[in-house]
Amino acid sequence: MLAQQLFNGLVLGAVYALFALGFNLVFGVHKIMNLAHGAVFMIGAFAGLYGVLGGLPLWLAVLVAALCTGLLSVTIDALAFRPLRTSSEAEFAVLITSIGVDMILVNLALRVSEAHTMRFPFGVVPVEPLLVFGLRITPLQLVILGAALLCGALLAWYLYRTSFGRQVRAVSSNERAAMLLGVEPRAVYFQTFFISGALAGIAGVLIGLAFNSISFSMGEPYLLRGFVVLIVGGLGSLPGAAVAGLALGILQTLTVAYFPSGLTDLIVYSVLFLMLLVRPNGLFGGAIADARMARR
Amino acid sequence: MDLLAAYQPLLDLFLISAGFALSQYVVLRAGVFSIATAGLVSIGSYLAAILMTTYGVSIWLAAPAATLVGLAFGLLLSIPLARLRGPYQAIATLAFVQIMLALALYAEPLTGGAVGINNIPKQVSTLGLLFCVALTLYVLGSINRTRPGRIFDALRQDEGVAGSLGISIAFHHTLAFALSGAIAGLFGALQAGYIYSIVPHQYGFALVAGTLAAVILGGRRSIWGPVVGAAIMTVLPELARPLADNRLLLIGLLLVVMIVFLPQGVVDGLLQLRRRRRGQLEATSKATPTTTGGMRA
Repeated sequence: MLAQQLFNGLVLGAVYALFALGFNLVFGVHKIMNLAHGAVFMIGAFAGLYGVLGGLPLWLAVLVAALCTGLLSVTIDALAFRPLRTSSEAEFAVLITSIGVDMILVNLALRVSEAHTMRFPFGVVPVEPLLVFGLRITPLQLVILGAALLCGALLAWYLYRTSFGRQVRAVSSNERAAMLLGVEPRAVYFQTFFISGALAGIAGVLIGLAFNSISFSMGEPYLLRGFVVLIVGGLGSLPGAAVAGLALGILQTLTVAYFPSGLTDLIVYSVLFLMLLVRPNGLFGGAIADARMARR
Repeated sequence: MDLLAAYQPLLDLFLISAGFALSQYVVLRAGVFSIATAGLVSIGSYLAAILMTTYGVSIWLAAPAATLVGLAFGLLLSIPLARLRGPYQAIATLAFVQIMLALALYAEPLTGGAVGINNIPKQVSTLGLLFCVALTLYVLGSINRTRPGRIFDALRQDEGVAGSLGISIAFHHTLAFALSGAIAGLFGALQAGYIYSIVPHQYGFALVAGTLAAVILGGRRSIWGPVVGAAIMTVLPELARPLADNRLLLIGLLLVVMIVFLPQGVVDGLLQLRRRRRGQLEATSKATPTTTGGMRA
């Protein structure tokens, strides 16, 4: 029973990690807290759903959704964040415009879906569970775990093994110095926002499949969970986001299984609050992110 | 008189949201990025609602009690939160809002869970709301014109400089938190005494975003900023009745356009414009000293 819960938590945590990786990538590289990330995730779920309903095979629908949300995220950056880069209060201003973008996207989704909760057609993924060492594992869980692992591995390879990734990391440590050395910041912004959006889109489709319900309001709880992962893992730390995402998934599944219902959110957010008090830089936060530094 | 009667609910709604916006404004003005207002409002609302329904207390006692409890929670919150800055503060206070929401849902015997508290006697009139907004404006206005207000400005603009001038940063952040909590508690209680029933989801992310939007639209420096912002947020959906289903879209667009083109908000933007124009006038008059030279000396 415990092993089963741990496995279920791991699967849920893999999706949290995927969502938080994109969120954290943008924050770590550009110091932009993108509150529209939850809405992008929700749009991704819808894109995947309409892809499947339109007759695409699932793997193609996921790719299409990732492409859509990647481009959406780049557009958000161009319209809502780029004009603010020279502003003296950019940190604050960006937070506000991203709330605005979030409202716009949620409203659009509300209109398009007419506030209905939508479902994937039956049998997109086989439902027969496999029995492995006494664990019931559905093919869907395998798909989710596999997709999350693949995305995580690709992201790590991209950031740490390619020239583009080196440029991204250069900008994250010092944008001005990177520019002087010939890195084109626009290209870096494009890449980070595209990757961040694409990861959110994939996470959206996977969550849509896992709970088989897609609605305009599904982004907000994941955005809030994303904060938890961000702080616990350490702002700007990608390995931190991956580990904290998995941990959060397991914590949530265990509290649902062993505590009275309704306590889950209370426990999760209390962990966040305590973490901020005790170790605001998170488990993996290093010198980059210092919570106590004065503004500017 | 008919006109007033027709628009009275709108006026009441505006007054309540102006109160929330003022609570949010106090912290932002002091350079504290707290968005705890929604959580503090929920404390005030639930306290007043429980006092009024279960114990039959009148609003005259419930509102001051909620104000005090809000103040106490503001003080309590400031202990851990004054250590954090920027996005960390925002996230921590958002967590606080979520914890309050989860508590309201979980503590069913006390708060009614998801159903909330119903049948709250309506004891708040337009006049009462008007009085409370005026009182809040008076108190905040007095603070703004004296030392703490100047210090809040200094803290917002550059904390390092303020600290180097011997200002106690922690004390003034605590003061801002306490004020914000008291105002939120008061208007939470008034809301509970006005709308008959309260449910947890009134106090979620939507309230956070709406209140923040009012302050951003109006302006974060002048005391009239949040009031004007709340007025815009209340009237706009009414003006755009045909677009009623797209209210969020409208507010979202407004937020983005506003921050990009008039980042100080309506009131502060206009004030700055006027100041600049006056500055130009003075500059031109200095060039011709015969006209105003005597007057300035």
